Amino acid sequence: MTTIAVGTPAGKASTVKSAFSRETSVSISIDADPTVIWALLTNAADYPRWNSTVISIEGRIAMGEMIRLKSALDPKRIFKLKVKELETGKKLVWGDAMGQRVYTLIKNPGGGVTFSMREKIGGPLFPLFAKMIPPFDDSFDQFAADLKEEAETMNSKK
Amino acid sequence: MTIETFNQEFESNLGALRSYLLRITASVRDAEDLAQDTYIRAAGKLDGFRGESSLRTWIFTIASNLAKDNLRVRKRWTENITDITRAAALSDQQFFQEAMQIRMISPQGQYEAREHIAFCFTCISKSLPLEQQLCIFLKEVYEFRVAEIATILGATEAMVKYYLHAGRSKMIGIFDGRCALINKEGVCHQCSELNGIFNPQQNTQEELMKIDLVREAEKGGKEHLFDLRMQILREIDPFTSKAAELQLHHLEHNRQVMEKYSQEEAG
Repeated sequence: MTTIAVGTPAGKASTVKSAFSRETSVSISIDADPTVIWALLTNAADYPRWNSTVISIEGRIAMGEMIRLKSALDPKRIFKLKVKELETGKKLVWGDAMGQRVYTLIKNPGGGVTFSMREKIGGPLFPLFAKMIPPFDDSFDQFAADLKEEAETMNSKK
Repeated sequence: MTIETFNQEFESNLGALRSYLLRITASVRDAEDLAQDTYIRAAGKLDGFRGESSLRTWIFTIASNLAKDNLRVRKRWTENITDITRAAALSDQQFFQEAMQIRMISPQGQYEAREHIAFCFTCISKSLPLEQQLCIFLKEVYEFRVAEIATILGATEAMVKYYLHAGRSKMIGIFDGRCALINKEGVCHQCSELNGIFNPQQNTQEELMKIDLVREAEKGGKEHLFDLRMQILREIDPFTSKAAELQLHHLEHNRQVMEKYSQEEAG
């Protein structure tokens, strides 16, 4: 089941916090071919070209594979993440022991696609680390905006 | 379509087909084999050709499918291929001896920087994902339309546009960072270096300034400079140009070096 943040402006992230977890989500409508959006989301080496929130992703974004992600949010760290779910053209999940990020694509009835992204981090040790983990909202806004711009650019190409 | 008409049409497209196959495989032998296999496959399926696309598109479709099968099992090259192969060439006396011999005696042994620019693009394009590399050549060099490329590669037009956009952006970034012809800070001066070796009597800077890409470099415009680079490729047939033998010798050297490098990297 896909959860889309209700009452949040399109392309604007929202965060729900609890004592042991934090979940940030964003949704945006993109006027582009879903296969292109999927290609952008699953081509690891291409991310830094269009996505200003990602410095690099090493590895293959394929089911069961490990990837090494360097985020602009915390450039000194390398996140070692496992691709946990992959439903071509629809859903992609990667994560580690602390949390996971879920990407979903849903075709809009009138054309285009609703892209959603959410990340939940949490667990028993979460309260100890909570203050060290920066807020994701701005980064999520930017990720969604970059994806929309890059995918829609393709529509204007001849 | 009769086999005679097909043969005529195939022959008129053979030059472009062979150069396309050479540029995507970087191997004379593979290009020749694939061109021959394309003819055999196409002639054998001639009854199935319904004319839904042009014969040229159909031939390139068969060739691209054969090439994809050939290339999928091989590792892609790296962006710094010219650094790796330069280092290997400098420690290989035989390479330069053979090259000098070709330069001196072959009617296709001239050295021109333009030819090297085209050769260099062929090498670096092999660092792109395969689909992006094929799209770039089909669109920018062999001038197929997006719809035709979609047919050739069995992809949607949207995906072809993505491959083209991503591939172009990537190649523009690589050349902008590396090529001293368009960026004074660029780390690669190989075309000038080789001109000094093969044409020692020439003023290299004067020769380079004869090339639009170099003359226009100061004005900037990365997209425009990329288009000028593509124009050079369109104007050169790597099998028949006056530098063909010298460049093909160099290409074979680079292919062997990169295959060895890929094997070593794989452990």
